[in-house]
Amino acid sequence: MNHDLGRLPAIFKRYPKSPESLIAVLQDIQKEYQFLPSEALAETARVLEVPLSKVFSVSTFYNAFSLHPKGEKVIRICVGTTCHIRGAKQIQEQLESQLKIKAGETTPDLKFSIETVSCVGACAKAPVVIVNEKYHGPVKVSDYKKLVKGK
Amino acid sequence: MVSLTINGRIVKAKDGEMLLAVLRREKIDVPAMCHHAAVEPFGACRLCVVEITRAEWKGWCDYVTSCLYPVSPGLIVNTHSDKVNELRRTILDLFLARHPDCPEIAELAGEYGVFKTTYETVVGGNNCILCGLCTRICDRMGFTAISTVGRGHGKEVAPPLRQAPPDCVGCLACAENCPTKFIEYKLRKKRVTIWEREFELLTCTKCGKTTITKDFAEYLSRHRAIDAGYFEICDECRRKNLAVSMGEIVNWERELLT
Ligand code: SF4
Ligand code: SF4
Ligand code: FES
Ligand code: FES
Repeated sequence: MNHDLGRLPAIFKRYPKSPESLIAVLQDIQKEYQFLPSEALAETARVLEVPLSKVFSVSTFYNAFSLHPKGEKVIRICVGTTCHIRGAKQIQEQLESQLKIKAGETTPDLKFSIETVSCVGACAKAPVVIVNEKYHGPVKVSDYKKLVKGK
Repeated sequence: MVSLTINGRIVKAKDGEMLLAVLRREKIDVPAMCHHAAVEPFGACRLCVVEITRAEWKGWCDYVTSCLYPVSPGLIVNTHSDKVNELRRTILDLFLARHPDCPEIAELAGEYGVFKTTYETVVGGNNCILCGLCTRICDRMGFTAISTVGRGHGKEVAPPLRQAPPDCVGCLACAENCPTKFIEYKLRKKRVTIWEREFELLTCTKCGKTTITKDFAEYLSRHRAIDAGYFEICDECRRKNLAVSMGEIVNWERELLT
């Protein structure tokens, strides 16, 4: 995993240098590095002139941000009410046992992370699994290979 | 000025003034754990709840947090009705469940007759009631060294990255204003440690007593236009010294006039 801060200036260039840009900048850093390296938080605080404590507060508030490196592929399993009723639990168990990690963890080779999320507003397609940005549903337990291998 | 009725008594107040401020001025005791005159009201602890009504409400009442409620003419307030006391007991009951080892909560709850929580006690918690006073005060003073971290059940107050906060000046205002004394600090001879950061304390050049941290003095002289020399003597010695300096001024004036 590359922690070099060289990719930050390009991100900062996209937005006005003001506190309002904080979330947008953090989202881009998260996307670029798959997590928020602490040096990047300090740099964000400096460039946007936001106190470091506020940057940290925001970074820890949203589930979309992670302070630890995440896998290249982040698999989010919806465990909201509808998805739960339609078998999210079984899908979660299957993925966890196949990838040998629990929800909230990342494989040692940094290839996969599993997370659970609450209703993502796609109940019509329940049970829903989101791989990186792509929504899949209704998902069957046997779909795990497709989810893990596919794009 | 407006007139309102509090516990049957007519009271005058500024229109739009927060009700809790009026209660305080009238020496009416209402518990308020997240309130501090230096910062905006926040409504976190809910303990300052009171009952309000108006003649035209025909017997209907409302329950509001007085720290956040602006007064207006004709308001009728009851700070300790049965219903209000019951609401406060419920809040304290919940606090007790969440902070079973907190003496400040236990004391206040005791005053309201709540000695044991009726809820399930939270194990492994701490004494922070998340009132936000520390962060708001630190913010207000211009440091913003600490903030809330995480959310929901995992929410807590912490310095950035959970490491010694770079923007902290060791003023101790957060710790001294924490209603449950949750924020710890260690005062040693010439040093103070808070949030795992150690600060050097300045000493009075006259009596040798410690005053504020070097970082705080530097901040004040750099950003708040206070001469750094001001912190070389403590307040006590400055007061003692007043006799000398004022005496000199008086003499000097006399000389000028004669
Ligand atoms: S001691 Fe540090 S964290 Fe606490 S109020 Fe002062 S500057 Fe803020
Ligand atoms: S540490 Fe104290 S002042 Fe800060 S939020 Fe917790 S209880 Fe309130
Ligand atoms: S519960 Fe999963 S999308 Fe609504
Ligand atoms: S003092 Fe009003 S809610 Fe805490």
